[in-house]
Amino acid sequence: MANITKKVSWSSRGDDSALTGEGTPLLNGTEIPKPSRQVSMSLDYDNIENQLFLEEERRMSHMGFRCLEISRWVICGLIGILTGLIACFIDIMVEKLAGYKYQVIKENIEKFTEVGGLSISLILWAVLNCAFVLVGGVMVAFFEPIAAGSGIPQIKCYLNGVKIPRVVRLKTLVVKVIGVICSVAGGLAVGKEGPMIHSGAVVAAGVSQGRSTSLKRDFKMFEYFRRDTEKRDFVSAGAAAGVSAAFGAPVGGVLFSLEEGASFWNQMLTWRIFFASMISTFTLNFFLSIYHGKPGDLSNPGLINFGRFESDSVAYYYYEIPLFMCMGALGGLLGALFNSLNYWLTIFRIRYVHRPCLQVIEALLVAAVTAAVSFTMIYFSNDCQPLGPEHNEEYPLQLFCADGEYNAMATAFFNTPERSVRSLFHNQPGSYNPLTLGLFTLTYFFLACWTYGLAVSAGVFIPSLLIGAAWGRLCGILLASFTPTSPIWADPGKYALIGAAAQLGGIVRMTLSLTVIMVEATGNVTYGLPIMLVLMIAKIVGDYFQEGLYDIHIKLQSVPFLHWEAPATSHWLTAREVMSSPVTCFNRIEKVGTIVDVLSNTSTNHNGFPVVVQPAKLCGLILRSQLIVLLKHKVFVELARSRLSQRKLQLKDFRDAYPRFPPIQSIHVSQDERECMMDLTEFMNPTPYTVPQDTSLPRVFKLFRALGLRHLVVADDVNRVIGLVTRKDLARYHLGKHGLEELQLAQT
Amino acid sequence: MLPYNLYLFFVFVAIDVPSLKCGDVVHLSASESADKLEAVPSLSTAAVSSPVPPVDTVFSFSLLSSFPEDLEVSDYCSDLLHIFGQRYVAYVNCLVPAARPVKVCQSCYSTYGSVVEIYKNISSDQMGPGNVTCRDSLLRSDRLMLVYQLYSNLESLWEDSNCAQCVTGHLESLTNDTLYFMSTLNQTLTCFEKYQQGNHTELCKNCKSAYGTLNVLYSQMEQNSTLCIDIEDAMNMTRRLWSKNFNCSFPREENVPVIAVSSFMLFLPIIFYLSSFLHSEQKKRKLIHPRRAKSNTSLMNIQDKLS
Repeated sequence: MANITKKVSWSSRGDDSALTGEGTPLLNGTEIPKPSRQVSMSLDYDNIENQLFLEEERRMSHMGFRCLEISRWVICGLIGILTGLIACFIDIMVEKLAGYKYQVIKENIEKFTEVGGLSISLILWAVLNCAFVLVGGVMVAFFEPIAAGSGIPQIKCYLNGVKIPRVVRLKTLVVKVIGVICSVAGGLAVGKEGPMIHSGAVVAAGVSQGRSTSLKRDFKMFEYFRRDTEKRDFVSAGAAAGVSAAFGAPVGGVLFSLEEGASFWNQMLTWRIFFASMISTFTLNFFLSIYHGKPGDLSNPGLINFGRFESDSVAYYYYEIPLFMCMGALGGLLGALFNSLNYWLTIFRIRYVHRPCLQVIEALLVAAVTAAVSFTMIYFSNDCQPLGPEHNEEYPLQLFCADGEYNAMATAFFNTPERSVRSLFHNQPGSYNPLTLGLFTLTYFFLACWTYGLAVSAGVFIPSLLIGAAWGRLCGILLASFTPTSPIWADPGKYALIGAAAQLGGIVRMTLSLTVIMVEATGNVTYGLPIMLVLMIAKIVGDYFQEGLYDIHIKLQSVPFLHWEAPATSHWLTAREVMSSPVTCFNRIEKVGTIVDVLSNTSTNHNGFPVVVQPAKLCGLILRSQLIVLLKHKVFVELARSRLSQRKLQLKDFRDAYPRFPPIQSIHVSQDERECMMDLTEFMNPTPYTVPQDTSLPRVFKLFRALGLRHLVVADDVNRVIGLVTRKDLARYHLGKHGLEELQLAQT
Repeated sequence: MLPYNLYLFFVFVAIDVPSLKCGDVVHLSASESADKLEAVPSLSTAAVSSPVPPVDTVFSFSLLSSFPEDLEVSDYCSDLLHIFGQRYVAYVNCLVPAARPVKVCQSCYSTYGSVVEIYKNISSDQMGPGNVTCRDSLLRSDRLMLVYQLYSNLESLWEDSNCAQCVTGHLESLTNDTLYFMSTLNQTLTCFEKYQQGNHTELCKNCKSAYGTLNVLYSQMEQNSTLCIDIEDAMNMTRRLWSKNFNCSFPREENVPVIAVSSFMLFLPIIFYLSSFLHSEQKKRKLIHPRRAKSNTSLMNIQDKLS
C-alpha cells in the first residue's frame, strides 16, 4: 500500500510542475558539492536514432559506408603501429636508465667492498631509486592522478561502459609513459605491462577521433567516429594492441579485450582487433630489431621476454599434473592473501594518504625501503654461484663471494624485475639455493603488495610473475631433492613457470586471456594444459576468499561496474524496486528556463531525461549532452520562426562537441531567452528502451549488459514514465555471504 | 699398433664400398680366405665401372693386412694416411697429460699444427705424384668417414678450448699476451709459495698487488676476448687458491652500519604511516543514496521478502 501512496504523491507533484527532480538531493550532506573532478560517467553506447541521424544516413552513399569501413581498418593499423612504438620507447628507456643505474651502483659497491663503507653504497642505491620515483611520483600525483596504478581497472571500466574522467586523454598517456619508465627504473617492485595496456587504449581513443582536444588540433579526419559506440570499439582494439605489445601475444590481446569488454561484441570487430594487435607486436619487433642491431629480424618477442624453453626441459608427464594443480591452489591462496593485504592498505590510503604530497612521500619511502631491503638481503646472502660461461647475469655482484663467483641473491634483487623472471625461468638447475629463493619470495611478496596502489604508474603482472616464479622454482628444487633417483623431470625452470602462472592467476583472476598470454609469451603450446589447469584452480581457490585485485580496486573506486551476470538470487527483485523515482522529465516542447534550471541543478546532475507528452506519456529520451549543444546553438522555436535562414542543426554539431561537452555553467542564457520554447522532437531518441515495472532484475541486467544501455525507462501499462533505471541502480546489488546485499556507492 | 691398423682398415673399407652400397652385410671371418685373394682385384676393377652384384665372399682382416697392393689407394695416399696417423697419435699423446691442469694450448699447439698440415694435404684437391688426389679415396669413400671424423673431433676440441686466441695465426708460437699472462701468473704463484707457510694473512697482504695485477690483466684479456682454456683454468685455480685456500676474500665486517642504515630506512615508513594516521584528516566517503519509489530502503525489502 505504501508504494501506491508514494506513487500518487509523485504524480501529483509531476502534474504541478511537469518536472519532479527537486526532491531529495543525491548526495548525503547539506553543503552543495562542486562538480567533483572524479565523477565517473556512463558511456552512451546506444545509438540515438533521431531524425538527424536518419537524415544523415539517407544522405550517405553506398561508397560512403565503404570508406567508413576502410577507415576503420586504417585506424586499427595506426593504433597497432603507435602502440608498438610506445612499447618500444618504454622498453628502450627502461633498459638504458636501469642499465645506467645498476652500472653506477655496481661500480660503487665494488669499490667499497674493498675499502669498506658499503653503507654508502646502500644510501646511493636508495637515493638513485628515490630520484627516479620522485619524478614519476610527482608527475602522477600532481599532474594526472588517474595515471596511477596499472590502468587495467580503468580500462576494464571503460570497456564495461563506465568512463572514469580523463582516462583516455593524451596527458594521461604522457604521464603514464614517463611514470612507468621512472618507476621501473627506480627499482620498485613493478612491471610495465599494465601501463602498456592503458597506453594502447589511450592511443586508440585519440587516433580514432582524428583530433586532440588537449593539443587543440583537429585533423578533420574520422569525424564519423566521434561517439561512444565507435570509440569503445577502437579502445578495445587499443587495449588488445597494448597486451599484444606487452607480452608478444596477439591472440592473448584479442582475448583480453573479449574477456574484459565482451558484453558488446561482434565477429567483424574481433578480426579488426586481431589486426591491430598483430600490427602492434610486429611494429615492436621491427623497431627492437633495429635497436638490437639486427634490422629486419621480426622474431623478437614482446616487451616481456620470457625466453624460449628448450625442448628437453619442456617435457612433462601425466604424474606431474596433480603437482601442478597443488601449485595452482597455493597460488590461489597466496593471491587471496596478497589481495586482502592490498585491500586494507588501499582503504588506509584512501582515508589517510590522499594529499598529493603525502602520496609522493609514500612512494619515495617505498623506493628507499625497497633498496634497503634488497641491499640487506644481498649483503647477508651466502649463496655464491660460479659465473657461467655465457654470462647470463647482467650485473653480477661479487661482494663477499670468492673471486669468479657471484652473489645469487643479487641476480634476483639487483636487476629489473623482468630480467629476474627470466633468470628464474631459465638459469641452470642449481643456480639458486632454496634459502635464497624462500627469502626472496617472502620479501618480494610484501614489497609488491605494498607497492601496488602507490601514486606511481605501475603494473602488477611482473611482480606477481616474479613471486610465483621464485616459489615455483623453490618447489621444483625441493621436489628434485625428494626424488634423488630421477631428478630429470623436476626441472626447476618448468616449475618456476607454473608457479608464476599460479601466482598471477591468484592475484588478477583472469582466465582465458591469461592462459593464452602465458602460452604465447613462453612460445610453447605444450604448456597449454598445465597452465590452464593451474589458472583454473588458482581462480577457484582465490575466489573463495577474496575477489581479484582489479575488481577490488574497481569496487573501492565506487565504479558502477556490471559483471558478467546478475546476482544469482535476484529474480524476485523487480524494476519497480530497483528504479530511481521520481524522474525528471521534459515536455516535448519545453521552456528553455526549465531546461537550464534542471541542467544547472548540481545536486541532481542527471544525464538522461525522458521526454513526455501530457499527461506524462513517454515519447522519447534526450541526453544532457544533446541539450547543452542545443542550448549553445540556441535552437529555440521563436528564433527559428524569426530567422528562417538559420542553418539547420546537424549531427556534425553534436560530434564536434564530443567528448568534452561544455558544462552548463559556461552557456549563457539571457532572461528573454529563458522564456523561449525548445522543440525536442527532432533531437530526442524517439524509441528508447522501456520495460514494464514488473520486469525482473536479471532481465534488466541483461539489457544493460548486452545493449550497453545507459538509461532504461520503466513505464506502466499506459506508457507513463514511472522510473528510470541506470547503471548505478544495478551495480548496487551483489551476492554476499548472506545472500543478496545492497552496496552503498560512494562519491569518490 | 694403432696407426697401422687404422691404415689397413681404411684400405679395406675403401675397397669394400660398392658391395656395401648394394646393401649386403659383409661378414668378416678368416674361414673363406682362399677365394678372396682373387676376388679383391676383380671387385675393385668392377667397382670403378659399375656396381657389381652382391659378393658373398668374406674378407679376412688378417689376410688383408698381408695384402701386397691395392689398386684404389695409391702409395702416395697411404703414405699420407700413415703420416696422419703418426701425427694424430703424437697430438693425442700430448693432449692427455695436459688435461689437468689444463695446458692443452701451450704444450700441444705445434703438434696440432702438424696434424692440421697433413690433413690439409689429404683434403686438398691438388694432384699428388701420379695424378692422384687422396681426398676422395681417404675422406669420403664410405659412410664412416673415419679420417674426417677423427680430424673434426680434434678440431672441435681445439675450438672449444679457444686455443686459437692464445696462439699466433699460423700456429707457430704463443701470443705475446699469453706469454705475458703466464709470466705474471708465475710471479703470483711464486709469491704464494713464498708466504704459504704460516699465517695466511701475511700472504693476503703481501701478494695482494701481484694477484691484483693478474686479475686486472685477466679482465682486460676477457674484454679483448684473448682468453683460451689454459689461461681461464690457470686463473680459476689461482682464484680458488686465493679465495678458498688462503681465504683472502673480503670479510663481511660492516654489519653494524649496514643494519643501522637499513633499519633507519625501515623505520621511516612506520613513522610516516603513524603520523598520517594521527594528523591527516580522514576523508569521509559520501554515500550516494538511491532515490526510490518507496520510503523504506531496498535492503529492508530484501529482508522482508526473505522472511
